[in-house]
Amino acid sequence: MFSTVLEQFVNGIVTGSVYAIVAVGMTMIFGVLRAINFAHGEYYMLGTFGAWFAIDYLGLSYEASIVVGVLATVVVAYVIGQLVMRRMVGAPAESGVLATLGIALILQNAIIFVFGGGYKFFAGGYIEPVSILGFSLAQQRILILVVCLLVFVGLELMVTYSRLGMAMRAVSQNVDCCGVVGIDVPQVVLRTFILGAALAALSGVLTAPVNVSVYGGMGELITFKTLPIIIMGGLGNVRGTFFAAMILGVAESLVATYVGLQFRDTVGFATLILMLMWRPHGLFSTQARF
Amino acid sequence: MTHTITRRMLCISTAILTIAGAVPLVTGAAQAADSIKLGIVAPMSGPNARYGAFSMRGAELAVKDINDAGGVDGMKIELFNADSQGTPVEGVSATRRLIDQDGVDFIIGDVSSSVTLAMQPVAEDAEVLLLNAASSNPKITYQAGVGGFKWTYRNYPTDENRALIVAKYAAEQRSFTKFAVLSVDSDYGRSAITFTKKYLPDFKGQILSEDYYKEGEVDFRSVLAKIRDNGAQAIIMYGLADTTPIVARQMIELGLAGKVTLIGNGEFNTEKTIKSAPSALEGAVEAAAWLPAFDSPASKAFVEKFTTTYKEAPNNHAYVHWDTVNLLAAAVKQAGSADKEKVRDALSKIKYKSPVGDVSFDDHNQARLPMILLQIENGKPSIKGAYTADIQYPAK
Repeated sequence: MFSTVLEQFVNGIVTGSVYAIVAVGMTMIFGVLRAINFAHGEYYMLGTFGAWFAIDYLGLSYEASIVVGVLATVVVAYVIGQLVMRRMVGAPAESGVLATLGIALILQNAIIFVFGGGYKFFAGGYIEPVSILGFSLAQQRILILVVCLLVFVGLELMVTYSRLGMAMRAVSQNVDCCGVVGIDVPQVVLRTFILGAALAALSGVLTAPVNVSVYGGMGELITFKTLPIIIMGGLGNVRGTFFAAMILGVAESLVATYVGLQFRDTVGFATLILMLMWRPHGLFSTQARF
Repeated sequence: MTHTITRRMLCISTAILTIAGAVPLVTGAAQAADSIKLGIVAPMSGPNARYGAFSMRGAELAVKDINDAGGVDGMKIELFNADSQGTPVEGVSATRRLIDQDGVDFIIGDVSSSVTLAMQPVAEDAEVLLLNAASSNPKITYQAGVGGFKWTYRNYPTDENRALIVAKYAAEQRSFTKFAVLSVDSDYGRSAITFTKKYLPDFKGQILSEDYYKEGEVDFRSVLAKIRDNGAQAIIMYGLADTTPIVARQMIELGLAGKVTLIGNGEFNTEKTIKSAPSALEGAVEAAAWLPAFDSPASKAFVEKFTTTYKEAPNNHAYVHWDTVNLLAAAVKQAGSADKEKVRDALSKIKYKSPVGDVSFDDHNQARLPMILLQIENGKPSIKGAYTADIQYPAK
């Protein structure tokens, strides 16, 4: 009994790690733009497609495909950032929603148009199972966990000490004052956006070997899973996002085991409703930041 | 004053537009006589897109062959396609689009039972012949023919037949008694399990756990761990082809491969699926309407033709759509015209030679067709027999 619960707990942590890497990008973008990026899951999809393309068409190794997937997404994010996201600074909230939803549709359908709508088989990765604590786990899942921890430690350091990190915090606090002291706000927005998209892509490439299938619409579900996480974590809060993602991952895993797999997706949406009703400012802050 | 003029102009221009729009409609009706307008509703995007692509290719191949041979009594088949995305809502609007904009008289669709069930009333209202080629939920023809919908026909065996033969084979040939359910959460996945439950007690079978996955689900670790711990000997899976490799891979990850057998339906038998997780699929039992290895000259000829045309072996959906287009052509030929009412009457009486056997329709517009049972042995599907069961329609 105890070992089953422990195993499901670990499963949840692994799932949570995937969510965390995607969600942290979304929450940082919200921090500087005050806009939910509804196209965020699409960068997750783009990263995976980039890696799949590298393996299937270019014959590269999985390690190289990670680089290709993330770089391809960075290029796309740079173009979208220059054309669209920069203009969102100071724009009303509706324009952010419309613009990002539009981008989501364009990216998704562009991929379906080019590669077809069917599922693709992702061949790379380390899928051999290893045994730890009495149950088996694919090596890839351990890799996901480690990368997630590294990403969060790195982000924590960056936000606290680096110039870009400080500028990001400044922009998220007061856009007008940033202008006064000479921070190039659109530049900060662009860089944050590219960083967020790259993280989503990284998460996609890391998950692809265990999820096996790659298809145009795969980002949608991820976007909707990250919504409750960033709200639970407190919009714009990096550390909060990490814990919120773990909570959702573990809760989903326990529900799938003890209630039924068909109720798995209900967890995220139920959490979203409950959070918005009782703690719209998130679990980890005492007052609303925005 | 200006307002009145503008409004009058609007009225006049609307009237002109209406008349202009009606002219092609009238001429369009005149043209319909020398072509057979056939619409295909299939999931061209979304989680079932693979089925849609195969369906379309199968239909296109049949249409090309018929048209190249001069058409049906000189009438060419004109093919239209609409994307259902595998969801009832999109399926209904796709059907409407085919009827209202393309003006088709015949529709083949959809793959998903949930979508077909939603399309039935639309086709019935418009009096367009809906010929289903790939949905297996029994309800579709329970409510057709003498059951209600006069314009729905189905050229595909049902889940009732499938559930019975899979349960029987698993119990009698493989001596399984403990089962876990892991099926897709749809009218197809759920109805197959309903019928499995109806027949399983006859074979002393017991269901230990029951889970349904959403289309697009990728994480089965929790459920598979539960199944590993509850001691089930087989997983009853009526699932989607694209999900089978994911489940099979995660079965290997959790050490279930070789210990727990997959039984049911979900394209366990294609080369690609078996290659993705050979040890998990060894011994798997599947009941399918058709598979490329089916041994009949007409079936083999189709596989060869499809493979040379598309550089890929056909699947079940390619075959059934190819076959159903041929069936429709045979019905048009027998009716002697492309008039949808005459074709419908011809279909009710037809004796059609399909590659898997002779096809005729019962009073519920359901084709009598066999299910083919196969088992994966040494990484290859091996056919264990073809079974036809008479359907017990529920008393009204």
